[in-house]
Amino acid sequence: MSDALLPAGFEALEPFLGRWDGETGMARMAARSTATMAEIRAFYDVAIEHAEAALAYLDRFELDALPEDAARLLRIMLGLVQASMAIEIHGQARAPGAPWPSGVTIVQGLQPFG
Amino acid sequence: MNHQVSLAAAERAGFTPASGLSTGPVPLEPYRSAEFYALERDRVFRRAWLMLARIEELPAPGDYVVKQIYPCDLSVLIVRGADGTVRAFHNSCSHRGSEVVGTAKGRSSRFVCPYHKWTYANDGRLLGIPDEASFFAVDKSSCGLAPIACDVWEGWVFVNLQRRPEVSLPVFLGSFAEHFKGVSYQAVGTPFILTAELDANWKVVSDAFIESYHIPAIHPKTIATTFSSGANPFGRLLDARLLGPHRAVSMYGNSGYTSDPAARVEQLAFSAAAAGSVIAAATMDNAAGFLDHPAINPTGSADWSMDVNHLFPHTQIDCGPGGFWTHQFWPVAPNRCHYEGRFYVPPARNVRERFQQELYFSRVIEVVLEDLTNVARTQRGIDGGGKDFMQLQDNEIGIRHSVEQVLKWVAAETVAEALA
Repeated sequence: MSDALLPAGFEALEPFLGRWDGETGMARMAARSTATMAEIRAFYDVAIEHAEAALAYLDRFELDALPEDAARLLRIMLGLVQASMAIEIHGQARAPGAPWPSGVTIVQGLQPFG
Repeated sequence: MNHQVSLAAAERAGFTPASGLSTGPVPLEPYRSAEFYALERDRVFRRAWLMLARIEELPAPGDYVVKQIYPCDLSVLIVRGADGTVRAFHNSCSHRGSEVVGTAKGRSSRFVCPYHKWTYANDGRLLGIPDEASFFAVDKSSCGLAPIACDVWEGWVFVNLQRRPEVSLPVFLGSFAEHFKGVSYQAVGTPFILTAELDANWKVVSDAFIESYHIPAIHPKTIATTFSSGANPFGRLLDARLLGPHRAVSMYGNSGYTSDPAARVEQLAFSAAAAGSVIAAATMDNAAGFLDHPAINPTGSADWSMDVNHLFPHTQIDCGPGGFWTHQFWPVAPNRCHYEGRFYVPPARNVRERFQQELYFSRVIEVVLEDLTNVARTQRGIDGGGKDFMQLQDNEIGIRHSVEQVLKWVAAETVAEALA
């Protein structure tokens, strides 16, 4: 087992670790909501190109038994979902007029990494 | 009143006239007045049965949850006793009133007040008083936790703050219980839970969740193309029915919805989804007793998005092709509301399902954020006082009925009169 942060083939995503692979849905929402569109776009453009391959790679694991590098890859794919809120839906970082912090709290999230 | 209005009837006369409701302007004072808010608290929230939990939150003896009744600043302990019975108590110690239980949920055979360690059984009995000899012959049998009336209907746990409720839960539910009897709710054990603090009267928020007229305007990019189409550009309702103080509306859904090829994450997430709809969290394997229940998608329409089933006063149990979810709108102040949404989805079985659920709930949050901005704007406009009435169209029948019922409960001297 190497100590690479991400599985082989996904090295291009490494610069985005620490910001877009938050452990919780709240952390990932905060990452997108406080980023500029340029930052979101930079991440989205790289991550979307690797998304199908990432899901295909992750398909081989049980959700509750992901090796650490695969778990990191899943979290960054969940970060991509957040980025898509800005890129594919709003055309801006946050919903029109929505403040940050927003007053919305995820009390119980999806598992894992909810 | 128990009217079902078919779409055909609505095309002739409209849901509202057919239901017997007035068609005139509806007052805005109940949305801003401090006096009305106090009456609402005392005559609605202190007299109606309030849904507080699902029975699945309390699977085993000793399981408990602590819930807030926001308008009354009141903490309720709901607990399953060793005998299996679910009971509710004021979360307040018989000694000097302190809150006894400080955690939101758990399992315990007894509860110990943190202040002076008075100890209660999970059926509410007072078991022990430290240094009891220094007290003056306390009658322990009368010093249990103060009970709150509690009853369960179809897995929904209700309480009533009247010491002796004037009406039973079945009488309060009336035709709503008949209509929704036997619905087999799916994935009840694993809700995704969301809260929001909103700068709006609770009815402003509730109103926004029972009409689809606003969706093309407020949610143009998140859900508009799911709830409206060229054939139904303003999202007119499929069905509406008034069930005593409760109500149910069925909303149109665009069966022709396809995701934009430029939305690559959405394409990826839903490529395998049969529903082809961004409002479905999951494809249900076992829909028996749910989607085929006559009260769910009551018109049997292929162009169906969801039903909003509003349980008086402040709870909505919504059903859609992917399952069910609840919204609760708790009054906090005349112009503030605590919102809680519980969305019931089966646990993801693999990475692709997890990815799809993440997209679904991220979008749900964006929709709530759009509503949050909208309801605050609505409240500011109402508070300005320039308007005393609102004009409601036919597909806003749920709002008209809501205001009528709240006014009726506030005016009624007895609950029987409110329900008459």
